[in-house]
Amino acid sequence: MRPLALAVITCLLTVALGCAGGAPLPPGFSPSLRPLTASSALGRYDAARDGSLRLVIEGLDEDQSARPARALAKYQRAIRVDPTNPFAFLALARYHLEGNSVDEAGAFLDQARALFEAQGDLGPSVDVWGLGLRAGIDRARGRDERADALFDQARRLSPEIWGDERLAARELR
Amino acid sequence: MPRGSKEKPSRKRAAKAKAAKRPAKRQGAKAKAPGAKKRPASVAARRAGLVVIALAFAGGLWTSHALLELDRIVVERFEGRRFSVPSRVYAAPIVIYPGADWQRLDLRGWLTRMGYREQSEAGPLGVGHYRWLPGRLRVHLRAFEHPQLPEPNRKVELRLEKGRVREMRDDRGRPVDVVSLEPEPISSFYGEGREQRDLVELANVPTHLTAAITAVEDRRFEEHHGIDPVRIAGAMLANLRAGGIRQGGSTLTQQLVKNFFLTPERTLTRKVKEALMALMVEARYGKDQILEAYLNEIYMGRRGSTSIHGVGEAARFFFGKRVADLEIDESAVLAAVIQSPNALSPHRHPERAKERRDLVLSLMEGQGRITAKQAKRARNRPISTAAIALESGQDRYFLDALAKQLPEVYDAPLLAVEGLRIYSTLDPTTQRAAVRALTEGLEGLEKRLGQKTNAAGEPQALQGCLLAMRPQTGEILALVGGRDYSRSQFNRCTMAHRQAGSAFKPIVYAAALSPGSGPLVTLASRIEDEPIAVETPDGLWEPRNYDDAFRGPVGVREALERSLNVPAARLGQLLGIGNVVQMAERLGVSSKLPDVPSLALGTAEVSPLELAVVYSTFANNGLRPTPRSFIGLLDDRGVGQEQWPLAGARRVLDPGTAYLTTSLLEGVVDRGTGAGIRARGLRGPIAGKTGTTDDEFDLWFVGFTPELVAVVWVGYDEPRAIGVPSSRGALPIWADFLTEVSGARVRGVFARPGGVERIEIDPETGARALAGCRLRKTEYFLEGTVPEETCPRGGSPGGGGFFRRLFGG
Repeated sequence: MRPLALAVITCLLTVALGCAGGAPLPPGFSPSLRPLTASSALGRYDAARDGSLRLVIEGLDEDQSARPARALAKYQRAIRVDPTNPFAFLALARYHLEGNSVDEAGAFLDQARALFEAQGDLGPSVDVWGLGLRAGIDRARGRDERADALFDQARRLSPEIWGDERLAARELR
Repeated sequence: MPRGSKEKPSRKRAAKAKAAKRPAKRQGAKAKAPGAKKRPASVAARRAGLVVIALAFAGGLWTSHALLELDRIVVERFEGRRFSVPSRVYAAPIVIYPGADWQRLDLRGWLTRMGYREQSEAGPLGVGHYRWLPGRLRVHLRAFEHPQLPEPNRKVELRLEKGRVREMRDDRGRPVDVVSLEPEPISSFYGEGREQRDLVELANVPTHLTAAITAVEDRRFEEHHGIDPVRIAGAMLANLRAGGIRQGGSTLTQQLVKNFFLTPERTLTRKVKEALMALMVEARYGKDQILEAYLNEIYMGRRGSTSIHGVGEAARFFFGKRVADLEIDESAVLAAVIQSPNALSPHRHPERAKERRDLVLSLMEGQGRITAKQAKRARNRPISTAAIALESGQDRYFLDALAKQLPEVYDAPLLAVEGLRIYSTLDPTTQRAAVRALTEGLEGLEKRLGQKTNAAGEPQALQGCLLAMRPQTGEILALVGGRDYSRSQFNRCTMAHRQAGSAFKPIVYAAALSPGSGPLVTLASRIEDEPIAVETPDGLWEPRNYDDAFRGPVGVREALERSLNVPAARLGQLLGIGNVVQMAERLGVSSKLPDVPSLALGTAEVSPLELAVVYSTFANNGLRPTPRSFIGLLDDRGVGQEQWPLAGARRVLDPGTAYLTTSLLEGVVDRGTGAGIRARGLRGPIAGKTGTTDDEFDLWFVGFTPELVAVVWVGYDEPRAIGVPSSRGALPIWADFLTEVSGARVRGVFARPGGVERIEIDPETGARALAGCRLRKTEYFLEGTVPEETCPRGGSPGGGGFFRRLFGG
């Protein structure tokens, strides 16, 4: 009886925690880490942020569907709506890294980090993006030692996402 | 030189020689007359024949040459660039979303300016129409082109509640997250004629429009070969009956030829040329090509100082829609207007326009181009036009600034003819607020201070500029470079270099606070406000404060909040002016800065744009954006030609120092020379600095929120004292502007980045405040710069350690 009760309690706790956390985990994340994705950030700030986040999400969908020009436009429009939305800059960093515009990727990543930091959002749930993207930038610049170290850290946070050393648009979505 | 022109003189010489010989022969002929009775007649006849042949030959040559020349003109124009289309500049699209403040976004104004029309009658909404319902707005948005993100036609219903968009749904009732509205045209790069046109392709022109035009202007267009003898005869008869010129006999081709190639004078030569060229055009080109050219060329009226040409632009101007979306009655109006665009303008003379429209509809019906039912329905519709959206002259300053940022290949002559569609970063709501705040602010100031005159007794206008920039992206959201573009095109936001005065001081403080200088000071430091003398090549420099008083040691905050000169000068000396110059350049100043001690007080001349970048860097956590005013352009067929994607801002200052500087500038607004901002009711995160130069020649206010940086400069073009400090000159304009853009409550926060500690200190000594310290205030420090001294003196900083231990920090 006791193991059954324990199982039931565990199940209930899991469900309760899952509900409290809001959005379900995106594919590729270890259950230990609940990353802050564009979708899960919806509803945390104000209407302008949500409008901006929805454009980022649309942009990530465009990116995922191999329409990079439209994706870029959506990210830029997201910034028009809310210039302090870190996800718009994070998406741009990812976009430019994929396009091998390493300097631009670095600049947008700096901007995203500054905004996350200013909004008190820095932590593992956001670091998981920053570490991996920074590692990707270092890899593209030929700084392999630093890239390896950062990818290791990113993989510790989410082995599924950073196993291939690339961030897919749907993962940030 | 062409061959033909070389031959001409030789022919002339030959003719002259012939003419010189002729009299002698004739005299000789007369002398021989008795012995040759029959010969003279036959010789004369032969000669006359030869002359006729020669004349005919010369005439033929001349005519051929003239015809070839006309043909060359026709071909050149038809096969080269047919139309000069000024390049048009568009604002950034407005984006609406659930929760958006639709009144601040000026949705109602947007509908009017974009030519959307209210549809009161029931039934499906036409493209470009909207309908207000209780708490709801239904709108059928037009498709629009864009270099990055074109949008299709779509119907949206917005539920509105308490000034906000509550939710949005499409025509199937599905929720819509975000809607981008068609960008507003701002203005165009006109050529000399200030002609505006929107080129159309015949395939996109509704058949009822071409039917309406041909019905009234040239019913036998499909049958004739350029000129229509039947129509000419009919016109002559009508004019004879009327006793004057009442009706023209020109075909569409002739009208096109007249507008395309000839001057409007009424001479026989011009008429002959017109007829010949019309025949040539018809011989060379198909009816469709001719009709398309006509539809794009025809004059359709005026909007302010620009003339409207072609049905594309006219459809926008009169009905606020694309030509493809015209209804039959609207097509008939366009056809009606052609005869006399100003006298029959549906904007100014709707009755006359309706009368002529009904005539067009009757002709269309009579000629079988529309059914009787269609004609009746069209006749029953009132003349309903879109509002005339006049271009604001003040937006021209932005256009000039944009033209300078475009790649060099897009020079002024090309912009005037190429028909490019340039998509800019301008935010129409912010720009309107900037125009209003600056214009009204300067008018108010001038009224208060009285208009000044120069030495010659001519009135001098008080000038100003307002520039707003997005700190994260460098996008210019608003730019008004002067008071009245029609009087002065000098752009004071980008071209004027004026002394920055105290608006420069934050650069000095940023340098002193940054780890690169030691840091030289922290926010708890005190600086001596005592007389200082610096040796310079021009003698001793002894800066003084605005009130000529010296206060002894003052806190860093107080020094900047009260804009004291002596502490800033002292910091400049301690830093070394070279380091101040370096910091200014890193932050975004590109003007040459003099290596003089007074630089620390802002004696260098900089542009408002440069200061906007400097303050953007503070607002953006030390990341410096690149100013940008356009995002891309399309050619006249809507094909993408250039894109200028957003560039990432560059780290030029550590986030901690940027934050400390921002915090100082917040203090200026909360307690210092910028307190007028708060007095005007603005709340939330605002930082800024006043700047008043010696003798009050230049007044500045540069301020920012987490999402917007704005610079206001006020002064005379020929520098002279204004008579008020910046807190009463530039600051009120800035505050009015921000209130209109953000509302009284500004969004966001200036958040403290990692690496900055928040500590309580004794404000009198700058020492760390422990339990038992009488006075205390919160202050911010870069990690590792927290004061070691404590209050009470000698106490151990155990409290901090205790808390650190407690929370495991």
